[in-house]
Amino acid sequence: MAVKDRRKGPRVPSINGSEHAVAPDVAVAFLKNTMPFRELDDDALRDLALHCKIDFFPKGTRLLTYNESEITHLFLVQRGGVRAFITDDDGEIVLKDYRGVGSNIGALGIIRETKANLNIETIEDTFCYLIPRDIFKELVRNESAISHFYLKSFSDNVVATAYTELRKNKLTRRSTEELLLFNTKAAELSKPLFSVSATTSIQECGVIMARQGIGSLLVYVDEDPGSMIGIITDTDFRTKVIAEGRDTREPVSSIMSSPLKTVPADMLCFDVLLKMMTISIHHLGVEQSGRVTGVITSHDIMVQQGNSPYYLFKEIAAQSEFEGLYLLSEKISGLVRNIINEGAKAGDIARMIALINERIISQILILLHRQLGPAPVRYSWLMFGSEGRIEQTFKTDQDNGIVYEEPNPDQRAEVEKYFGVFGEQATYHLLKCGYPSCPDNVMVSNPEWCQSITGWKEQFGKWIEQDESHEQIGASIFFDFRHGYGTEQLAVDLRNHIITCCRRSNTIVENLGRYFLTMQAPLSFFEQFIVEQNGDHKDRLDIKLRGLAPFVDFARVLSLKYGIRQTNTLTRLKRLSAKKVVDKDFYLDMVDAYELQMQLRVIHQLSQIEEGNEPDDYILPEQLSDLEKRMLKDGFSVIGKMQSLMRKEIEEA
Amino acid sequence: MRAILDKLALLRGRDRLIISNNRNFERFDYQTRLEDHSYVVFDTELTGLNPKKDEIIAIGAVRIRNLQIDLAETFHYYVKPENLDHTRATLIHQITPQQLEEAPPLETVLPMFLKFIEQDLLVGHYVTIDSTFLNRATRQLYNGTVANPSLDTMRMAQIYKRTVLGDYHGSQQIADGRYNLQKLSGELNLPYFEAHDALEDALQTAYLFIFLVKKLRTVGIKTIRELFAAGKEIAMSARKPDGI
Repeated sequence: MAVKDRRKGPRVPSINGSEHAVAPDVAVAFLKNTMPFRELDDDALRDLALHCKIDFFPKGTRLLTYNESEITHLFLVQRGGVRAFITDDDGEIVLKDYRGVGSNIGALGIIRETKANLNIETIEDTFCYLIPRDIFKELVRNESAISHFYLKSFSDNVVATAYTELRKNKLTRRSTEELLLFNTKAAELSKPLFSVSATTSIQECGVIMARQGIGSLLVYVDEDPGSMIGIITDTDFRTKVIAEGRDTREPVSSIMSSPLKTVPADMLCFDVLLKMMTISIHHLGVEQSGRVTGVITSHDIMVQQGNSPYYLFKEIAAQSEFEGLYLLSEKISGLVRNIINEGAKAGDIARMIALINERIISQILILLHRQLGPAPVRYSWLMFGSEGRIEQTFKTDQDNGIVYEEPNPDQRAEVEKYFGVFGEQATYHLLKCGYPSCPDNVMVSNPEWCQSITGWKEQFGKWIEQDESHEQIGASIFFDFRHGYGTEQLAVDLRNHIITCCRRSNTIVENLGRYFLTMQAPLSFFEQFIVEQNGDHKDRLDIKLRGLAPFVDFARVLSLKYGIRQTNTLTRLKRLSAKKVVDKDFYLDMVDAYELQMQLRVIHQLSQIEEGNEPDDYILPEQLSDLEKRMLKDGFSVIGKMQSLMRKEIEEA
Repeated sequence: MRAILDKLALLRGRDRLIISNNRNFERFDYQTRLEDHSYVVFDTELTGLNPKKDEIIAIGAVRIRNLQIDLAETFHYYVKPENLDHTRATLIHQITPQQLEEAPPLETVLPMFLKFIEQDLLVGHYVTIDSTFLNRATRQLYNGTVANPSLDTMRMAQIYKRTVLGDYHGSQQIADGRYNLQKLSGELNLPYFEAHDALEDALQTAYLFIFLVKKLRTVGIKTIRELFAAGKEIAMSARKPDGI
């Protein structure tokens, strides 16, 4: 008998006489304990449970295949676990993520209406609840708690997806130096084996280690010299011998760590490193066909990973020639690719770029001092705008200046001359390092932005106190200054001065606040995105100007009002929340909206770089999925609330 | 009253419910692959184990289609027994006498259950006991028994342990209670919960069933026939009655 096409059985009345089936309490309980469904009320949970199916996937079952599988339902792991990975063209597994009980699989693909963005395979016998795609989408659409949950993880996951696509597109495969963690095997980095019998005295072991210049020794028992039973490392000498005052004539077996933890010779360094991090052990034996053939340490791996930020840092600081710095700065894009590859998010990228930029600036200035002699007075190198806010992405114009100590009158001409040359040179070398000139000439080579502390204080005082709205708007990026190199105290003094001036005069807060109120959220009454009307970017949304700028401005104005010294937008918002200027929920809404836009912008720019184009800020709303659009609109709708709050703040002032 | 009804049923011959049920399985194809069948995993709660005097007081069931448990298709009813020993029912089943008092009688529940199981195979843990009580009820009410082939997850677990795990101590372990549903679920690392009614017992059994079917496929047991054959083999070696 064929039962395949049997019609759906009748809904059976339940015990309480209702017309519908009841889900077992345990099913409801499972959903109630699983994020984000625990946010639903009991009726919604019962209803959801009725739409679920439960399936079993034996260990090793492929649930989803990258770029092939249509995701027909969300998987919720009830028992067991899966691994998520992608396989590159060479058949290497380049990313691993393990997900266990309670995690969900496929949400992002359903929300973004794409095929699976990862391969998913069960690594244990696994039971899953399956929630049909349409039911899940309806939940995300209608239940604010659920959409909020995905909005949050969305901004992280979105980037992860973009990275996955980039990996696939071989962005990270341009240089063989890169991706070391993913294409080097344990055996390639393992050190030759030094081993001693378990009966060897501690003292003798110390001698061997010192003579061979090694940090560890493997230990075997005499009966079976081929099998290693333990390991001693430098740390054991410190903690177990010296600290405990142990007799060094004791056999080494009394201080060794046993058994020896090993990894297979063909394990990828990435996995080796993960294992070390998981078990907090930095020395592992490398095992080949059942025999330990060497030792691998976390140090070996880190040192070999040539393009790590740490390595680049050291290299930059070691450069004594400008040409060397120019060459090294070319490596930054590779470094960015590398940290993307290791899972960095938009915020991480911005912080990393800021650190590297600072390091390059510092080194340029150090070399300049070698050439021109030390500065006649102390100074602080200032960074403005997005650099000052630590919010740069890929394209970083120079926005910088210098504040120097007030020189004696007789010294003034000399000081001005020195910084004139110094500023010219610094701008030139930064340009050669790949930082384009600022179109508005806000650069240290412009004498206007290379001034004494008195000069700067006067300048800021004027901006704050004069009632010149236009000037103030133009000057707002200066208020985001941050110290980059030199004497930080000068930057601190300047910030103090600004805070004092703002206490005396409200005009800047009022004028910038009013200007903020004229900004329009990029939504019209019909809830359509406002896009550029003409020019090259017709029908595109300038996400920086229309999306991010209102958040930056809002945070800046209120920071001026409330004497907040920080410049980073998220940090400013956090301070405003701590000072109870904005309430907690509103703060979180702003953070979500801002981060989402930052991420969308990063993805947009990543893909432009990938296509060989200059990155810009114009995204095409048409290319967003319905849900992305809705989330972005939700984010923009926060701007309205920010404006009503600002209105209140101005009236107070 | 009951005696008169019984006599009437006998006079009428088999009830149409049973006749239609049996017709569903006249040409049952034992070669069909396990995943192409639908199943109803069920569990009954009884006042005791003596078919002569004990009665069904609850039926819980859940349907499996495409080897997935379908939570939209569950069946759960308490049944008002003819003779109720209140204390015992309360003790064993966490069902209050009042719940049973308010429950519909078997005459109401049974037709719904027969409609629910329709053309599906029946699955239960120690299914013989549940089937015995079910068939006693249909015999009394409709003068016939259901024809749905039934599968016993306890037997299937034995086959699994023997063929997949290479464990040959099945029958001894049954005596030890190691094939108890809760113990098996724990041993096989299935989702486990404190089942407190017939529906949840059925659900627990359903987890075991889809686990076993998918595991047994790996040793070549892919059709009902192959499953029955493996069951017979075990039964013979354990000198137990036929069937699985």
